[in-house]
Amino acid sequence: MTDKADVWQGTLALMVLKTLETMGSLHGYGIARRIEQTSGELLSVNYGTLYPALLKLEQEGYIASEWGVSDNNRKAKYYKLTRAGRKQLEKEAQDWEQTTAILARFLAPSEES
Amino acid sequence: MKTLRALFLRLGGLFHKEQRDRELAEEIESHLQMHIEDNLRSGMTPEEARRHALIKLGGIESTKESYRDRRGLPVLETFLQDLRFGARMLRRNPGFTAVAVLTLALGIGANSAIFSVVNAVLLKPLPYENGERMVLVKQGAPRAGFPDVSFSVPEILDYRAQNRSFDALVEYHSMAFILLGRKEPERVMTGVVSWNFFDAFGVKPLLGRAFRADDEKTGAPAVLLLTYEYWIRSFGGDPTVVNKTFTMNDRLHTVIGVLPPLPQYPDQNDVYMPTTACPFRSDPQMMANRSDRMMSVFGLMKPGVSLRQATADLNSIILNAQRAYPDVYPPSFDVGAWALSLREQLTQNARTTMLVLLGAAGFVLLIACANVTNLNLARMVKRERELAVRAALGAGRNRLFRQLLTESFLLALAGAALGLVFAQNGLSLLVTYVARFTPRAGEIHLDGTVLLFTLGVAVLVSLVSGSVAALDSRGHNIGNLKEGSVQSTIGIGRRRLRSVLIISQVAVSFLLLIGAGLMLRSFLKLQHVNPGFEPENVLTMRLNLNFTKYNTDDKRRAFYNALLERLQTQPGVLSAAAGMTFPLIGMDPMSNDFTIEGRDSASLPIGDFRVVTPGYFQTLRIPLLEGRDFTHQDRQDTPPVAIVNRTAAHYFWGTQDPVGKRISTDKGKTWIQIVGVVGDVKQYGLDKDASDEIYVPLNDSPVMGASLVVKTAVEPMSIARRIIQHIYEIDPDQPAARVQSLEQVRAESIAAPRLTANLLGLFALLALAIAAAGIGGVMALSVSQRTHEIGVRMAIGAWPREILRMVLGQGVVLTTVGLILGVLGAVGLTRILQGLLFEVTPTDPLTFVGVGAVLAIAALSACYVPARRAARVNPTVALRCE
Repeated sequence: MTDKADVWQGTLALMVLKTLETMGSLHGYGIARRIEQTSGELLSVNYGTLYPALLKLEQEGYIASEWGVSDNNRKAKYYKLTRAGRKQLEKEAQDWEQTTAILARFLAPSEES
Repeated sequence: MKTLRALFLRLGGLFHKEQRDRELAEEIESHLQMHIEDNLRSGMTPEEARRHALIKLGGIESTKESYRDRRGLPVLETFLQDLRFGARMLRRNPGFTAVAVLTLALGIGANSAIFSVVNAVLLKPLPYENGERMVLVKQGAPRAGFPDVSFSVPEILDYRAQNRSFDALVEYHSMAFILLGRKEPERVMTGVVSWNFFDAFGVKPLLGRAFRADDEKTGAPAVLLLTYEYWIRSFGGDPTVVNKTFTMNDRLHTVIGVLPPLPQYPDQNDVYMPTTACPFRSDPQMMANRSDRMMSVFGLMKPGVSLRQATADLNSIILNAQRAYPDVYPPSFDVGAWALSLREQLTQNARTTMLVLLGAAGFVLLIACANVTNLNLARMVKRERELAVRAALGAGRNRLFRQLLTESFLLALAGAALGLVFAQNGLSLLVTYVARFTPRAGEIHLDGTVLLFTLGVAVLVSLVSGSVAALDSRGHNIGNLKEGSVQSTIGIGRRRLRSVLIISQVAVSFLLLIGAGLMLRSFLKLQHVNPGFEPENVLTMRLNLNFTKYNTDDKRRAFYNALLERLQTQPGVLSAAAGMTFPLIGMDPMSNDFTIEGRDSASLPIGDFRVVTPGYFQTLRIPLLEGRDFTHQDRQDTPPVAIVNRTAAHYFWGTQDPVGKRISTDKGKTWIQIVGVVGDVKQYGLDKDASDEIYVPLNDSPVMGASLVVKTAVEPMSIARRIIQHIYEIDPDQPAARVQSLEQVRAESIAAPRLTANLLGLFALLALAIAAAGIGGVMALSVSQRTHEIGVRMAIGAWPREILRMVLGQGVVLTTVGLILGVLGAVGLTRILQGLLFEVTPTDPLTFVGVGAVLAIAALSACYVPARRAARVNPTVALRCE
């Protein structure tokens, strides 16, 4: 557990959006688990930080929530992507790719002189 | 967009807290349950499953906390919370709160009031549409002894025709006329102006119409504009007054409109008329004579023209005139003309005084601020435990800092609100006071700018007084809780901080007291100036004869002589006389050049001419030094005579005896023999030197307007009504105006310095009271905190007297340091007062010593009470109380 990376601020929002895009409607615990699984258990999500992040996304209008019932008949709050959220995801994913591409160039072993 | 949306939602998050909290709890609970179920499925024991889930979540409460922070606006929420808490704290300490709020209210209120004056008088643009382009035009020959002369009609026409810098040059003069057609004849001050006078200023009438070019044509029907003040005072604001007609100067005058309430300059008039309606101004001889000067001129500069350009333009015009008319403007005269900013003219008398008052108010605020800071510091000591507990429970330093700042903001805000109430109550008094300096006093209001200023001051005060206390509270925190007892000693740092505050309070109070003391000394000197006459029991009133009725010298002579003859025999009247003017009434000099027999007439001496009846000197008790007084035998058909004052006698004749010498005002056509010398009087103000006065008998120059002076055996105002009755009996259409005793006139002439001294004195007393209370309070606190130490001292043999001396000694040191700093500051600062002082130097030793003594006594008395209490400490009780 100790060598798992913590989730950086900011990237958590992107992961949440991506997760919701893939999974459709999902509750908080599900989102957290899903992020951990997708990362191949390399990431450890502090579940406590997830809820303020979800609230922020909801306030910004990228996700919407409603109460529902889980598979094992438990009452839970379900989150899903909104239209604005979809657009934001697209934009953030693009930004992210660009950033990583740039960083990759810096970190790549220099080819010439 | 999305940030805004989030902000609104978060603002919304401030409400319905319970429901949202419940939902959050449910959501987290369901999260935990799901996690626990998963953990159980992977084989954990129930306890382990729960523990793991909780660890992974990172604590229920802290999750909720960070969630709540995101939900609402934490800054706003803590602020509201702090406000509520602060209000509760303040309510729980009513004594502290009352003292602090009152202190701040006095400090802030004084500033709001004075700032409202500075804002209205010095900061705001003139309330005329073209105010910033308006100038006052002056002309004169300063080095030849004429710094400022009026304008004649031909001169005005010259300036108007030749200038290139003005959109308009308008003329003005003011006269008293009699208005008939109301119940009683009324003397109205009349501004006589060019038709486009108000257009130049950009003033539109409130009712009716303004003057038109046709109104100023020769032979046009006479029209009047009423000023707002006169309209309200005499007509009760009746709008039907427009188109009504009144008789003035034997002509029907139609009211065409009412002016808005705006400052008038240079005089407060009742009505305005175009130049052609004024019988003096429209006299053909007057209009043709280049030396017949009685008008003022105002100019509307073209946009973009500077004062310097306008002045150069005007100057070249008067120089042209000097070349063209050497007999009017002797070539040796350094004639010149100037454009002066109207705004400065309107407010220059007020500037220094108002800024001094603003500075004084600022000092009062400083002292108040220091006091509240000290009170806060004192309270911090008592709250140390509370703060320590809060810090131990996890309140960050910034959080505590913010809490303390919020509390002091609450205090300052309450102080500001109460201060505004004080300011509002004092405002009408302040307006009357400021009106003595500038016609702009009517513009003073507690408007938005003043409210904003007040709020700004409150924020500043809370920042200063709050942060000092809050910063001080840092570092005293958790340690104190450990010791588990109320601290009995206070840190060196805090004690030093308090000492600095006390010293600065003493120093600043000293500055204020010195300012007030100097003004008071100056006023007392003014009051004790020998005016050269006796103002006691003299009744004065102004008579302006009806010009059309008394159109010959004989008729005027007859009126004055008949009136004086009647009055002489009245019971209660000791003597009665008339004069063109009398001392301290604030009339302009009547400077005329004249010839002295047997001397070169190339450059003529200038005298200040006065017209009086026999008995004038006796009535005012002006001593006759040589020769004789005027008598009823000095008549128009006897050789003309004159009396000079002592200054004129010395100036024009040196050591020679002027009695018997002759002068002429018409270049030698007729000679006037000097028959006497009288004492000097303070004609233009108690702080002004006497001018070169030449008195001539009224019989020789029966003037249109004269003042009646009556020496009475009884209280002068008590027989005023009877004397006016006698005037009506001689002429029922003859009003008497400005009926007042000469004592009143004299008091009025020094009212401005008196009120300034009073106001500064009030500020100084406030400062003294606040500072003394502050010193006393701090000493009391220090004594109560040192009870234990004092008990020990007494237990090991200190006498009460020694304890008393020890505590007082502490006060003496602080006061002395404060006084030294105050003296240093005062020596530097009082120079500003120089222009306001009369015969008192800004470093007047008597004032400095006196003020120092007063302040020292006040400070030490404030220390004495706590010192006494210290000396009475019962050692056994003091030692047991720990």
